[in-house]
Amino acid sequence: MIVTRGLTKRYGRIQALKGLDMEVPEGAVYGFIGQNGAGKTTTLRILAGLLRADGGQATIGGYDIQRHPRVIHDLVGYMPDFFGVYDDLRVGEYLEFYAAAYGIRGATARTLRDGLLELVDLAAKRDAFVDTLSRGMQQRLCLARALIHDPPVLLLDEPASGLDPLARVEMRELLKELCLMGKTIIISSHILSELADLCTHIGMVADGRILRQGPLEAVLAAARSRRYTMRCLGTADAAVTLLAAFPEVTVGEPRPVNGSGDEQVELVLPGGATQAVAVLRHLIANGVAVTHFAETWTNLETTFIELAREETA
Amino acid sequence: MAETLNETAGQPGAGINLRRWLGAFLDGLQAGLAPMLAKEMRSRTRGLRSPVLLTIYLLILTGVVTGLLWLIRDKARLVGPEIGLNLFSFFTLVMVMLLAFIAPAMAAGAISGERERRTYDLLMVTRASAAGIVLGKWLASVMYLLWLVLAALPVFAVIYLYGGMPARQVGLTLIIILATGMSYGALGLALSAVLKRSQAATIIAIILVFVLLFGTLVGAVLQLDYLHSRAAAAGESYPQPGIPWYVFHSPLPALTSVLPGGDGRTAAGFRMPLLGDLLRDFWQQFNLVPAAGMTVKMGYSYASGYIGMGPGLAPEPPGGLAALPFWARFLINQAALLFLCLLVATVAVMPVKPWQISRRR
Repeated sequence: MIVTRGLTKRYGRIQALKGLDMEVPEGAVYGFIGQNGAGKTTTLRILAGLLRADGGQATIGGYDIQRHPRVIHDLVGYMPDFFGVYDDLRVGEYLEFYAAAYGIRGATARTLRDGLLELVDLAAKRDAFVDTLSRGMQQRLCLARALIHDPPVLLLDEPASGLDPLARVEMRELLKELCLMGKTIIISSHILSELADLCTHIGMVADGRILRQGPLEAVLAAARSRRYTMRCLGTADAAVTLLAAFPEVTVGEPRPVNGSGDEQVELVLPGGATQAVAVLRHLIANGVAVTHFAETWTNLETTFIELAREETA
Repeated sequence: MAETLNETAGQPGAGINLRRWLGAFLDGLQAGLAPMLAKEMRSRTRGLRSPVLLTIYLLILTGVVTGLLWLIRDKARLVGPEIGLNLFSFFTLVMVMLLAFIAPAMAAGAISGERERRTYDLLMVTRASAAGIVLGKWLASVMYLLWLVLAALPVFAVIYLYGGMPARQVGLTLIIILATGMSYGALGLALSAVLKRSQAATIIAIILVFVLLFGTLVGAVLQLDYLHSRAAAAGESYPQPGIPWYVFHSPLPALTSVLPGGDGRTAAGFRMPLLGDLLRDFWQQFNLVPAAGMTVKMGYSYASGYIGMGPGLAPEPPGGLAALPFWARFLINQAALLFLCLLVATVAVMPVKPWQISRRR
């Protein structure tokens, strides 16, 4: 549904995007994660038609975003990370205004307005002035605004930023409902726990490039297959010395296991399972008493931090 | 769905189809203009700002009229057309000055305010085109201007009771007042779109309005002085240039062509306060002062009613634009200024400029 190839963007001396390649399948909820300044917002603004890319190409639904901006406006609902509201409009009027800006008027606009206010749980606030709403309510109203023309694609830039924990939960529930409606959604965030139970796909961005992307489980599985925990009977010093034979393997500091006198070591094996077999065979052949050798459970956060460190190195 | 970077089959080709472009343009215009106009008018009728501004504006206008009536109460001896003529001239001058500053000041926050409120991006991702948004904002300011003019009509009516002003002159005066507000409002809008900060746009708009109102007249005199001094230094006769075109960006010369006493006197020889005296001195610089006792209104009588005041030189008979009355030249200038400002504002509002798109194709 959304494809970018070699997207580049420079702000003065800062190269924000350095050939970003992204693929988002139709109906996916794509978690776009990365640190502040990694290029998430720039990418989303380019996809929304608010910014011109210096190089590369981006298409949504097969339409080039530069050549068909009007089609892109119809296909995309965009929610920026920071946004304002018209403080002199009521909630209902606010949505009607944006409906009209998408060419939707009259009874259709009013029906859409009421349906969306129900969806975002703001029906009771229809006649309230927008500036009297809480931050969480304004976020939900902004999401309703992005949905007013029923776009198949949603670009949500940090939709839960600035929200209290309860409002975050409400926003997450709302996004789950949108997933069920079959929308293709890109959600950018630097709070990784927000995305783990929401996304079907993930794209990790750092320094203007995609580090990893694909189905969430596949990305996590690939990371897990690289990280191993090894426990030894007694100290792990001998094992650490023997692992010097594998210069590409990263070996952590030996740590005691629950006062048992045994020690455990974290290993990162770029060669994955094949290399794990070779390492284990080498240790046992040299008389190391290995009691446990298994993949380390990895969450999204750990995976991202590890990849970001590799990229920095 | 297999994703490719190829264009979807059956979608528009690379060639520009004029009809499709026009359709898209009108669609974007409609999507921007109607909702923006409705929203702006709704916003302007809410809150205290508009009623307070209107009250101050009407207090100034009624204060001016009442004060003038009080000042001339003995001289006038009851009523007469002279009182109406003078009141009308003075009232018009005050009204033009007020609207010349109110219109750009109100418009200077229109686009920059969207950026400051962070609502600009939300507008730019809709189907509303930049032209539609700009026109919607501008029309909303014009509507507000009309409201101000309509609100002042009762004061006009009081003056009209004294008589002395032909209906055509009243109509032309109102047109000049509106044209001033519309074009200066567009100037404020363009600055708002280009400068991005409302405060800077407002300050620069007010400075530019000063320049257009008075600076153009001063500039014309300085230009003439320079030409004369250069001719004197070269030992040549004084040149007789026409009135510079930029003078007609100020409504003051235009008003002299419709108001009685714009030449310093009314038909009955009654001196009009302020405007007539000021502009009389200005026109003298360009040999455009009527002969004493002649019942001449500047501009109307351009071809027949003025005498040369230069050192022994009669001015060339005017042709082309110069043959038009001053108010017509003013309207032409303001139309050009309006178009230019709206164009600049539209381009400045576009998130991706047309030349940036064509460069990437």
